[in-house]
Amino acid sequence: MPTHVASSENDVIEAVQQAREWRSPLEIVGAGTKQAFGRAVVTMGSVLDVSGLTGIVSYQPEELILTAAPGTPVAEIAAALAQKGQRLGFDPPDWGPLLGRAPGLGTIGGAISCDLAGPARLRCGAVRDHLLGFRGVNGLGEAFKAGGKVVKNVTGFDLPKLVCGAFGTLCVLTEVTLRVFPKPPLSATLTVRGLSNAEGFALLRRVWSSPLDATGLAFGNGNALIRLEGEKEPLAEKCALLRTLLGRDAQEVPEGEIAFRALADGTVFDDTPFDVWRAYLPPASAAAVADAIDSPLWLADWAGGLLWIATLPGSDAVRAVVGRAGGHCVLLRAAEETRERLAVFEPQDDTRLAITRSVKAAFDPLGLFNPGRMWDGV
Amino acid sequence: MQLSPPDPSIVAHGADIAAALGAIVPDGVVADPAGLAAFDGDALTAYRQSPLVTVLPRTAEQVAAVLSYAGAHGVPIVPRGAGTSLSGGALPRADGILLSLTRMNRIKEIDLENRCVVTEPGVTNLGITRAVERHGFYYAPDPSSQIACTIGGNVAENSGGLHCLKYGLTTNNLLGVEMVLMSGATLRLGGKAPGAGGLDLLGIVAGSEGLLGVVVEATLRILPRPPATRTLLAAFASVPAAGQCVADIIAAGIVPAAMEFMDRGCIAAVEAHCASGYPHDAEGALLIDADGIAAEVDHAIARIGAIARAAGASVREACGEAERTRLWAGRKAAFPAMGRLAPDMLCMDGTIPRGKLPQVLTRMAAMAKDYRLGFCNVFHAGDGNLHPLIVFDAMVPGELDRAEAFGADILRLCVEVGGVLTGEHGVGVEKRDLMPAMFTDADLEQQQRLKCAFDSGGLLNPGKVFPILSACIEQGHMHVKDGRVPYPNLPRF
Repeated sequence: MPTHVASSENDVIEAVQQAREWRSPLEIVGAGTKQAFGRAVVTMGSVLDVSGLTGIVSYQPEELILTAAPGTPVAEIAAALAQKGQRLGFDPPDWGPLLGRAPGLGTIGGAISCDLAGPARLRCGAVRDHLLGFRGVNGLGEAFKAGGKVVKNVTGFDLPKLVCGAFGTLCVLTEVTLRVFPKPPLSATLTVRGLSNAEGFALLRRVWSSPLDATGLAFGNGNALIRLEGEKEPLAEKCALLRTLLGRDAQEVPEGEIAFRALADGTVFDDTPFDVWRAYLPPASAAAVADAIDSPLWLADWAGGLLWIATLPGSDAVRAVVGRAGGHCVLLRAAEETRERLAVFEPQDDTRLAITRSVKAAFDPLGLFNPGRMWDGV
Repeated sequence: MQLSPPDPSIVAHGADIAAALGAIVPDGVVADPAGLAAFDGDALTAYRQSPLVTVLPRTAEQVAAVLSYAGAHGVPIVPRGAGTSLSGGALPRADGILLSLTRMNRIKEIDLENRCVVTEPGVTNLGITRAVERHGFYYAPDPSSQIACTIGGNVAENSGGLHCLKYGLTTNNLLGVEMVLMSGATLRLGGKAPGAGGLDLLGIVAGSEGLLGVVVEATLRILPRPPATRTLLAAFASVPAAGQCVADIIAAGIVPAAMEFMDRGCIAAVEAHCASGYPHDAEGALLIDADGIAAEVDHAIARIGAIARAAGASVREACGEAERTRLWAGRKAAFPAMGRLAPDMLCMDGTIPRGKLPQVLTRMAAMAKDYRLGFCNVFHAGDGNLHPLIVFDAMVPGELDRAEAFGADILRLCVEVGGVLTGEHGVGVEKRDLMPAMFTDADLEQQQRLKCAFDSGGLLNPGKVFPILSACIEQGHMHVKDGRVPYPNLPRF
């Protein structure tokens, strides 16, 4: 396939205009670490390589705001923030190895487009809660902007929300502005072992409903993991309050940050032959779902709001169980044929499908961007 | 700001429309002039317009039937909650149906296990907190109108409040909605699970100002009440010193629960109004809350106090709950307090990068001199959200125009320094014509195409947000009914 390499917004405009002229779709690719996530793009067209749109455009720590080109590696942004004691609140994971690629390469544009969020989402929100504004090029070949570069803004429709998790089907991002969070200087991870599913999830929800502001509430293999953060004395008080709340001892584990990083990245699934699902659930239904599914390996995050579920390849039995519990699923890793056949994203009812298609057409009327990546025609 | 003229062919059928709505909601139609006067505007008091007819449905099915009828007959719909919009978001049309959601005021479910509340749109913001506070929870977004404003309106406007910096706006606390589209179909987005799956349509519904659909149910996140809250009052001899203090606190990694700035004029007005105990001789004051567990709050308050003193402030802490309440009552009364100074008032709502505060305040003072108008400043300092209050007398010829021109200049200044036109009040009719100051034609056309994806006939809250009513023609969506386009008397491009 021919490839357009873009290193500026103008390059992107040119590529889109040419695609319009030829009625020839574009597969938008950054570092390419998540090409195996989502449905395969149905295209006889070209690749639009945006990995050359790189660099932090501006970073003002005292404003809690960072603007970057979308091809900037998440790792580069994280390092710049860490120098000032800040971080990305949505805690983006690195799914490179899980999806058969190298670690550490994923871009901020990819993290936004694929709706990446790690354990701290529970407390700090998803990527959509952090993207304040963007510039992009729509399917008419026009550059446009949306949102703003301040933390509080309701001027016009909140298009930044819409491009989060749109898998590049609406427009090509050319600049993104994110709010960033101060990083508490210390963290402590505590564990309680030997719990049933019902006990474990009930324990997580008890902490979630307390004012301890846990930034990690995970469960698997009978063990609950709880991450608390803060300055020295406040953190010590939080740990003491946690033990009082639980009415039992919770042991501090020294490698807590590593455990939560591994959970974010789905590391345990890396070298397994299984399909990997992410089930988004009302947290109180997690225990029942965990009991009901047929899975060789599962882990829970977000106080039960998220289950990572491994299944034998080629089956979507888990989707019905999760749907009955009021949740929805994304098939994160499977063979291309399976992703095509089982649908990666939750099937939509007719009303929603019609609106989704109209929204797609409002940005990309000719269907040039990543056609078929999410559903047929989107 | 000019309101577009009503469509006489719709106005002429007012009685038929009222009768048709009466068949859908037998006990919920207001069509007499005296009754309609109660619905003739919202909290943007400079504009008044009675609707053609008001309908007050009790159920989602009735809302769907009303929208189906309006869609089939090409009649504009203006949705309305409590009518507390400061941007004219609920301003009726002489040729339109006003759809009041206040009778849909039941909380449907309190689900503590999933930390959420499922509610109808007409429940008040404070009503959510009242319903869950005995269990130790609250609903975080707290616009100043929270006693009256409704959840449906909060979703439409993406309302904020004093605590946004730490707890986010409505959109960050909204888990799901059920909404009725102009076709009468019902769209369900999200629920009790994190994320709504698929394209984040929920994200654009929040803050869509009633242009995309009518919310008939919302699922809201509730938070555990923090066990401790402490409040500091810091008085500054200069405005730049206060601005620097705000920047220093944020840069130190502290996220206060609230951080409010008031200038000398505002302090004087509040003291005359309710004697809250603010320092008379200060050029500016910051009122700062820290909340959380006790040790965390103690730590934050100690650091905030040290930073403020280093910035030259005289600092004192509210002593006990009574004084805390009194200090905050003063801040929350800033609006009525200013109301004592003049018959009319405009409350602006731009957001700027926090670092631009001193520069913007200086330039606003110069503008006020040029316009010969009084004003004062309250400011959500933590998130850079300005609320200049311009006082004037609409009975004095030319003063309303001058006040609006002054307000527009302030908002253009906000955009010029890298900010935005509105931080939490919405665009509505008030800032509609200023949208080109912030957005290019391509930016606005992209937003309008999204509007068309939901409402191709342009019948939902027309005349709000966008400066020019763009027909949905680019996508071949132009809605033609009985051989005529909607609003034949409006200019199109």
